Amino acid sequence: MNKNNTSRREFLRASGGALGAAWLGIHWPELATAAQHAHEVAAGRVDHEFMVLTASQARDVAAIAAQVVPSGDTPGASEAGVVYFIDHIHAGLYARSAPEFLAGLAAFQAEFARQHPGTGPFADLDAPGQHAHLKSIESTPFFGTMKYLTIVGLLALPSYGGNEHKLGWKLAGFVDQHAWTPPFGHYDRDYAGFVPYATAPR
Amino acid sequence: MSARTFKPTETVDFVVVGSGAAGGVMARELAQAGFEVLVLEQGPRFTAADFRHDELDYWFNNALLNSPEASPQTFRKSAQDKAARVRDFPSLWYARMVGGSSNHFTANFWRFHEVDFRERSLLGAIAGTSFADWPIDYAELEPYYTRVEWEIGVSGLAGASPFDPPRSKPYPMPPLPVKSSGVLLERGARKLGLHPFPAPMAIASVPYRGRPSCAHCGFCMGFGCEMQAKSSTLYTVIPEAEATGRCEVRSESYVSRIDVNDRDRVTGVTYFDRDKREHFQKARAVVVCANGAETARLLLMSGSARHPDGLANSSGFVGRNLMFNTYAEVHAIFEHELNEYKSVQVTRVVHDFYDSDPRRGFYGGGGFDSRIGPAPIGWALFAPPAERSWGPGLKSLIEAMPRAMVVATHGTSLPLESNRVDLDPELKDAWGLPAMRVTYQDHPDDLACAGFLQDRAVDVMQAAGAQQVWKGPLTDAAGSPHLLGTCRMGNDPKTSVVDRYHRTHDIRNLFICDGSSLVTSGRGQPTMTIQALAFRAGEHIARFARRGEI
Repeated sequence: MNKNNTSRREFLRASGGALGAAWLGIHWPELATAAQHAHEVAAGRVDHEFMVLTASQARDVAAIAAQVVPSGDTPGASEAGVVYFIDHIHAGLYARSAPEFLAGLAAFQAEFARQHPGTGPFADLDAPGQHAHLKSIESTPFFGTMKYLTIVGLLALPSYGGNEHKLGWKLAGFVDQHAWTPPFGHYDRDYAGFVPYATAPR
Repeated sequence: MSARTFKPTETVDFVVVGSGAAGGVMARELAQAGFEVLVLEQGPRFTAADFRHDELDYWFNNALLNSPEASPQTFRKSAQDKAARVRDFPSLWYARMVGGSSNHFTANFWRFHEVDFRERSLLGAIAGTSFADWPIDYAELEPYYTRVEWEIGVSGLAGASPFDPPRSKPYPMPPLPVKSSGVLLERGARKLGLHPFPAPMAIASVPYRGRPSCAHCGFCMGFGCEMQAKSSTLYTVIPEAEATGRCEVRSESYVSRIDVNDRDRVTGVTYFDRDKREHFQKARAVVVCANGAETARLLLMSGSARHPDGLANSSGFVGRNLMFNTYAEVHAIFEHELNEYKSVQVTRVVHDFYDSDPRRGFYGGGGFDSRIGPAPIGWALFAPPAERSWGPGLKSLIEAMPRAMVVATHGTSLPLESNRVDLDPELKDAWGLPAMRVTYQDHPDDLACAGFLQDRAVDVMQAAGAQQVWKGPLTDAAGSPHLLGTCRMGNDPKTSVVDRYHRTHDIRNLFICDGSSLVTSGRGQPTMTIQALAFRAGEHIARFARRGEI
């Protein structure tokens, strides 16, 4: 991954460090409003940079990711910054797969344009329309890759560029703490202890 | 005493190839017996501080594993097919590092049962398979199982499982604290009249032999333990071997060939150092503990005019009878939180279906245990059924993760001569050596047994009161971290590679001990048995050496 960009991102993270999980919990609706529009992102209105994707590619990728893990009452792929993960990972860990990914994306866009002449890019379509189109290409390798990348971008370490503010982990109820003590959950809280078996069953 | 460093010109008593579950034990046993031991390990040496909680890097970027780029493999289902290069993830995988797969394993550590060693006699032949009895029985291995539990460090409750074979000593540590998944598995199983029991785990439940106890961080399966609580050889027998002052563990040393003279005596091994420079290391004897995939490949790469089919392969069995243990999952969601991402993966096991029962209509048996896959990426990727793999259905499953658990089955794999490791005729690895070619197809009974166990696990989850229960896919295996059977032990040199003491039938000063030695697959979680075999083999090999019988 490009070191300068990484450190710049780290810098931006550090400056925004006051936005803790508790703050997010209280201010979630505002945050959703502020971050939900992928076109704002692609137009460069927030502090993210793309290393691999063009603005129009990023809009479509963000729109597909938002269909894989939609927003709603709780954060989805958009708020967790999955599109940045998908961009950055193709400049880093998956750099070798970048041409294949971009070719898949180009084929996706071309096929969409062929099926929907005159409607503009996939990202401009309304949500039900997007869902219906993705349903029709559900079994393509490109969509499989997008499902994988969206899930990983949502739930991998934030240092990879997604899972922003650990929103993905929050969604999954996962807490990245390095030590725990029992009880771990509801059902082991009142466990009475292992009762030995009286006799051998055979 | 600090670790010994041998000069390249020295002839060591033993070269041990591989430093994993078996190699670590072997090095320690031979060094403590007074011999000079050089362990050659292809991977690097990590410390506990190097291990990270990075699910993407460890599970999807093969951070600890044999990489498909540098160490490529090809795979096919049968000898009629052309094997295709495996991308993204190896077919046969292991942790390529000092301590080997004992670093990243889940640490399930139950003993094989008496029946595992003599099932062929009890059940008779199975057509089309090389199903056979072991040359040793459970009673002969029992003292070494006990040594594993005490010297490697296993937590458990002796006598808890009514199916367990006899034991001479209790576990040295109590079981790890039960998790909600263990409580629910136990609740459901007991309702059905089954006998769930606390899982024996090679993880310290209390401070043990200078190591701290488990911090319940949850990152066991697929991860290295940064607490040193997991009883990996990296933290247990390897430092003890080095402390003798007679053992060197040379990491990033990739053995490419075992060299023999014209009297069929091993003279040493050829290996690449980290800069891909070749060296020859002289040794009086060699013990190969490179795992059930790489051991067979190394022998096949060590062929010569005198040994055209590979070294120690007069039987033709080197690389054959590859076995995996079947694996299938059942997913369940409950009303309240379990938080399965916390603490060790397994706390309760069911072994009521361990023995083969002809009334079921197929050979095989096994069990199942409570666990979740690596959380949370693994849950989101692998648990959802196809119709919930994206969209609101996927999101609701991600949100349900705290209330979810997985039951994993472990079962038998029959030995088939056609399931094998050999050398790919075209593809080379990053050192220019022939890539590993894997040929594998489950026997129909293996899949039938796995399906049976999966159905029993569904029953248990329903009895436990799950709100939703669904089965994971059950398909032909295309790979495994359980690498078993490829240099099987036996009394007959025509149908086995090593004898009952792990000496190769063909070469007097060449020994093999690892997963390749297993004659049958057991019911899964083979590392405990591999280490018991290594303790036993180490004792016998040291005895032979002392008597000048090598």
